[in-house]
Amino acid sequence: MSNSQGMHSPVEQFEIKPLVELSLGGYDVSFTNSSLFMLLAIGVSVIFLISAMRRADMIPGRMQGMAEMMYEFVAEMVRSNVGSEGRPYFPFIFTLFVFLLFGNMLGLIPYSYTFTSQIIVTFAMAAFVFVGVTVIALFKHGLHFFSFFVPAGAPKVLIPFLIVIEVISYFVRPVSLSVRLFANMLAGHTMLKVFAGLAVMISGAGGLAMAGSLLPFLALIGLTGLEVLVAALQAYVFTILTCMYLNDALHLH
Amino acid sequence: MTENTRNRLTAIAIALQALISAKAFAAGAREPGLPQLDIATWPSQLFWLVVLFGVGYLLMAKIVTPRIGAVLEERRQTVDGDLEKARAASADATKIRADYESVLEKARIEAAEFAKQAAMEATKKAEAADAKIAQKLSNKVAKAESKLAEAKTIAMANLNEVAAEAAMAAVSSLAGIKTSSAEARKTASSIATKLAKRETN
Repeated sequence: MSNSQGMHSPVEQFEIKPLVELSLGGYDVSFTNSSLFMLLAIGVSVIFLISAMRRADMIPGRMQGMAEMMYEFVAEMVRSNVGSEGRPYFPFIFTLFVFLLFGNMLGLIPYSYTFTSQIIVTFAMAAFVFVGVTVIALFKHGLHFFSFFVPAGAPKVLIPFLIVIEVISYFVRPVSLSVRLFANMLAGHTMLKVFAGLAVMISGAGGLAMAGSLLPFLALIGLTGLEVLVAALQAYVFTILTCMYLNDALHLH
Repeated sequence: MTENTRNRLTAIAIALQALISAKAFAAGAREPGLPQLDIATWPSQLFWLVVLFGVGYLLMAKIVTPRIGAVLEERRQTVDGDLEKARAASADATKIRADYESVLEKARIEAAEFAKQAAMEATKKAEAADAKIAQKLSNKVAKAESKLAEAKTIAMANLNEVAAEAAMAAVSSLAGIKTSSAEARKTASSIATKLAKRETN
């Protein structure tokens, strides 16, 4: 209740609040609400996966079935998009998917924090993928890697232009990869907050007007369902694009 | 479809937000701006991202994925083994069935052969018995015929004698001519021969 309308700003939810003040080499590295939810995403997923596999039955129960399904889902994604050469990168891609999925999902719980709505976080991950994939490509193919920017079978006249386009599109990859996730989370959570705030504001008017708050409230319920879908979908999109970039790096064209 | 709806809703949300912010601004509230663009928070976020994602990666790579992978691999092998066993059992069953059927077929052929032989033997026996009986009967017939013929010759011989004697008696009583019995017998037999000839003719 920061102002007279009893209304929070819809972007206030994205504020970083330090929980434990820390500093390292002159930088502020406080443990914040964002860090807490990163820790929870890793902690919850690892505890879930380990406890689900504790008994490791031949015929899986519900929990084990879910853990195995998650594993198989990512394994199949790597297999079909990268092939057998993608095997060494499977743990990374699995961690990426689980981290994003749990981060997005935990962020949907009221009063929690969505660290994937932070552009610096998504950009850091996208940049890591971009740099990693480029290094893998250079290691594997050497200078031949640069043929990646020359489309096969293009008319000779067009090649300079196409190289420019290909190079730009290559370097835009980390930007589009990070902005896609960030923007989806930002828009989704802002929207939820606006509709929730609207419902509270209208109900605050009292009397008959209170019935009017039902409308934004119902919209909020629908939007929450949509955001659950978006949370899973964006984790999937980020992961599958990483697989595709890795495939490009390993096999060029 | 959902993306479209979502974009429209986002536009509405942003418009509402602008409205609300304007109100908040009018009320003298602090205008925060987008917290994501506050560079001061970035070092901490990057630091914890690297630390926690790194720890998460190590846990996933060293504990979680090998464990799940091992369970899945074990299950795959068990299922494959079971399938292999089932295939072997099925092949065994097929073989046993084929064996059973071949034995059955053999027994059927043997039985048929046996029945045929038995029938043949029975026929042979019956034929032999028939032949024996026919032989016996024909022997009997032959004997009877020979006996008959003997009886006939005896009877014929007797008849000649009777005829000669009757003729001798008739001649002596009618013509008073005495003939020797030998002559009479000779005449009678010649007549009998003549008669027999005529009979046969």
